Amino acid sequence: MLVLIKNSPETKEGKRGLKIARDASADIVLLQNGVYFAVNEMLDGFCGTAYAVEEDLKMRGLDDIKRGIKVIDWGQLVDMMAQEDKVIGMF
Amino acid sequence: MKLAVILTKPPYGDIQAAEAVRHAMGALSEDIEVTLVLVDDGVFLTKKGQDVGNSGYTDLAEAVTDLMDMGCDVLVEKVSLREVGLDTDDILDNIKVVNGYEISETVKEADKTMIF
Amino acid sequence: MAKTFTIFLTTAPYNSENTLTAVRISEHALSKGHNVNLIASGDGVYCFLKGQKAKGLPHAGDLFVELIKKGLKVYL
Repeated sequence: MLVLIKNSPETKEGKRGLKIARDASADIVLLQNGVYFAVNEMLDGFCGTAYAVEEDLKMRGLDDIKRGIKVIDWGQLVDMMAQEDKVIGMF
Repeated sequence: MKLAVILTKPPYGDIQAAEAVRHAMGALSEDIEVTLVLVDDGVFLTKKGQDVGNSGYTDLAEAVTDLMDMGCDVLVEKVSLREVGLDTDDILDNIKVVNGYEISETVKEADKTMIF
Repeated sequence: MAKTFTIFLTTAPYNSENTLTAVRISEHALSKGHNVNLIASGDGVYCFLKGQKAKGLPHAGDLFVELIKKGLKVYL
């Protein structure tokens, strides 16, 4: 399962998306303001794989902050969405 | 005439940051003294290295630099910066990192306040 | 194998980044041979108004017109 998160770590939606992903042992994809989860310790305690969309990272000047996050392009996101049994979001 | 423009939202995800910058610019061009106050996620507006590529968006970090060139004071709240996980090295040059008291003083001194 | 993506877009074109996200997912899914449906509901229908004059952010009208030419199916 894949959870898409588009809201920042400061928001209720962002926190909810991460909690659901954590509880369901799902992976997450960060896009839009969700890419701010890539900054410092915002993903502490999350054990799944975190992906982030490169264009949205770059726009915000975050492409240098990777901290265990896998950077993907839109094509890779489409492939992942096509392959996963379930995709939920965007939170 | 003094205007304080407060931004609490990060750039690009919604229109608020672009609107804050746009109205600050408009006010400056009318010879209004403008202070742009960045708190909470608004501090991300000053993150170094923004590259809008071919997204179609205006580069808002560039716009902030333009604002400062036009004489706008840009304040970033220290606590907000820490809460979102950024360091003073991560943000643009010439931004004033201030505490909550300085922000409340700015708002108190301003004739009008706009919140985005 | 070609799959079908169905995107539910409910936000107005110029106050969120959802427009660009919907455009990017649509264009890449279409270019990989998938079918893409876009259902515009509520404020999402404003993305498809004629005569939009947007500057400084992604132009919803122009971008969706291009995608419709490439096979995007839009339902209002």
